[in-house]
Amino acid sequence: MALAIEARDLRRTYRTRTGWLNPRRVAIDAVRGVDLDVRRGELFGLLGPNGAGKTTTIKMLNTLLIPTSGTARVCGFDVVSQTREVRKRIGYVFGGDRGLYDRLSGLDNLRYFAELYGVPAARQKRRIAELLELVGLAGRERDRVEGYSRGMRQRLHIARGLLHEPEVLFLDEPSIGVDPVAARELRSTVAGLAATGTTVLLTTHYMAEAEELCDRIAVIAGGEIQALGTADELKHYAQGRRVLEVQAFGVTDAQVKGIDLLPGVREASVEVLGTSQVLTVQSDAAVDVQADVLRALDGVRLGRVTARQPTLEDAYVTIVNGVDRTPATVTA
Amino acid sequence: MRLLTVGGVIAYRALFNWATPSMFVGTLLVAPLFQLLFFAYLGRQLGVADDTFYIVGNAVLSATLACVFGGTIAIANERRWGTLGHVLLSPRSRTLIFLGRALPYAGNGLLIAVFTLTVGSLLLGLRIPASAVPGLAVTFAVGSLSCACFGLTLGALGLRFRDVWLISNVSLALMLLLTGVNVPAEHLPEWMRVVGGWLPITHAASAARLLVAGEGFGAALPSLWREALVGLVYAVVAAVLLTLFEAESRRRASLDTL
Amino acid sequence: MRVVRLVALGTLLHVKQFSRSQFEIATALIIPLVQATLAVYLFRAGTEPHRMLEAAIGAGMMAVWSSVLFGSGGAIQTQRWQGTLEMLMLSPRPPALLIFPITLATAVTGTYAMVATLLWGGLVYRIPLDIAHPLAFAVAVPAAILGLGMFGLLLASTFVLVPNANAVNNALEYPVWLVSGMLVPVTVLPGWTGPIGAALPTTWAARAVRESVTGAGPVWPSLGTCLAISAVCLVAGAAVMSYVERRARANATLALA
Repeated sequence: MALAIEARDLRRTYRTRTGWLNPRRVAIDAVRGVDLDVRRGELFGLLGPNGAGKTTTIKMLNTLLIPTSGTARVCGFDVVSQTREVRKRIGYVFGGDRGLYDRLSGLDNLRYFAELYGVPAARQKRRIAELLELVGLAGRERDRVEGYSRGMRQRLHIARGLLHEPEVLFLDEPSIGVDPVAARELRSTVAGLAATGTTVLLTTHYMAEAEELCDRIAVIAGGEIQALGTADELKHYAQGRRVLEVQAFGVTDAQVKGIDLLPGVREASVEVLGTSQVLTVQSDAAVDVQADVLRALDGVRLGRVTARQPTLEDAYVTIVNGVDRTPATVTA
Repeated sequence: MRLLTVGGVIAYRALFNWATPSMFVGTLLVAPLFQLLFFAYLGRQLGVADDTFYIVGNAVLSATLACVFGGTIAIANERRWGTLGHVLLSPRSRTLIFLGRALPYAGNGLLIAVFTLTVGSLLLGLRIPASAVPGLAVTFAVGSLSCACFGLTLGALGLRFRDVWLISNVSLALMLLLTGVNVPAEHLPEWMRVVGGWLPITHAASAARLLVAGEGFGAALPSLWREALVGLVYAVVAAVLLTLFEAESRRRASLDTL
Repeated sequence: MRVVRLVALGTLLHVKQFSRSQFEIATALIIPLVQATLAVYLFRAGTEPHRMLEAAIGAGMMAVWSSVLFGSGGAIQTQRWQGTLEMLMLSPRPPALLIFPITLATAVTGTYAMVATLLWGGLVYRIPLDIAHPLAFAVAVPAAILGLGMFGLLLASTFVLVPNANAVNNALEYPVWLVSGMLVPVTVLPGWTGPIGAALPTTWAARAVRESVTGAGPVWPSLGTCLAISAVCLVAGAAVMSYVERRARANATLALA
């Protein structure tokens, strides 16, 4: 089967100078050898924490960045030397509300980019109308973008990314800062696109989004792909484990470290949820650590305690926690 | 007094966005010099006035960009960066704080004026009598200070009106016209001369011209006093506006939106 | 044909985007009016009180140059701040075609000031619109605008390569006014500035427009020279732009972050 995206050992180093009186050159390896094969029509997820290299990877694939080394092809065209062929075939949508002409209407924005992206003049009008309908902006297209809500701007971004009916669509954290209802609509739009045969490369750090949408998911951290597979396959990383969740008020870092060292415990982490904390402890399935954990939390006010099977999120935590997350290297 | 100087210097460094060396040279040194050359040659071409008129006048005027923008920045940027509330809540005298902010900009303006006069005179071959130098230094200092106070007033207005940069820009352009630096005052209509009389630089420029003509410090003194008075008026207006807006913001509990 | 359509639509939309900023429009209109007034009094005070119309038109041309200098010189930076630079560069077109409509738009919006100074001159100073060759004027102004827009592409592409281009921008307003003789041809300048003036399209643009107003010379040679130099600037600007694009992709400077 033909590949929509193929990347071989992609690497990207950012060099910056810091300091003014005493300048130092700092090189940051943002991406350190990524291999990817995305099939045509696939909805592929790139999942990772902030700073993992997701955006850098996407920008190398969509021609905005030249890789420091390695090669990549999109629809069979090289992303460094055949940029025009690549650009004709790709769409790019990024999260957030920048990147639009604020004082122009949504319609003007779309008209301009339709012209830039080479949509034939005769098709423009119909294509724009279709897209306004698709993203739910029909009726608001003559309003200036500065008056749009964040969700509307995000939908306008998507419409723009689809103007020239790209074969491959890059979606870089499209749901960032979008409210839950809008995010759900967004997901259904993306799913619909994939159903019509568009290849989609989606980056996100929302687990549910990746699990719901993606055929395959690559977990990226520290600039490298740590795991690759379907959501079900990734859950194997947490297989043979069970998870204990404890609602607590006032757990200290020292206590978490202590729990991490208990026999049978694989991971222990704390998340703050409103006024309470949620302590998540992954352990080997054969060991019941609940009594030990509760003893370690002696003196802390506790709420609900639940034991459950591992989810994709637990698998993700397992994968990401195993990575050294300090990619900065100083080269004098 | 320490508050006035130390506080001022720190704010100057924090709020002066042109504080890179190239920005300083390009915008504050080279641009006024070209402005001087532009008007000097235009004056020669059109036979309006001699080089001395233009060199001296534009040298005094060259401080305006740094001083007017500086004074505006001293207040307006505090608002932009959300630090104004903290400054206004400080128990020290606000007037002194902001006056302190304006001082470094005035010093900067003085430096620029001296540079512009020196280089402009060298380029166009103007000889300045040595006896005039101390008087000129005082004149430039008074002009810069009065300009910075004018900037403070604009900055205070900026607390109420969003487009303070528009006002600053237009003010700078108006000063080219109304201060009588480029068009001799006798050729301007009466009302423009009156307005010009209440702008900074106008009187400092005439004082400087008298000094270069070798008239002596005594002859220039009345103009210098007038320039100082104009500066003082703007300083008072700025202080009154700040107090007014502060009281108003407390009443409306809108310090954050200031 | 597609290229013309792209440039026309792009220019129109960038003009629209620019024109809807109250701050920019106010600055772009008020300051030239002050300068026109200054020019009027300078001409009156000097030996040329009869050349009032030239003062008004000269002030307008000065404003066009300011608009091109600041608008085009900072065009790429502005797009980067808006986050639109990446979106433009993703288009399958040569990068020059993406930036040229912007620089042309900065020249077009400069004409607002030209109209304003002429109206101001007519209403306040009763300067009659006595144009010697109205037809030539009607051609020369848009052609001069086009030329300066083409020159703008060279500014846009070279200024991104200069560290702290804003500083260069701020310093270049007056010298070009002076050397190009925008307000009045300055014959008293030192001789070495002559070749610089002759190489600048601004000089020939100002000259063509002035000739159409005063009838002091044939308009077409000046206009032709202006457009020829501008075309060279356009080609050079396009070449630099391609280099800039590749460099930006290598150095990761397309985005703001």
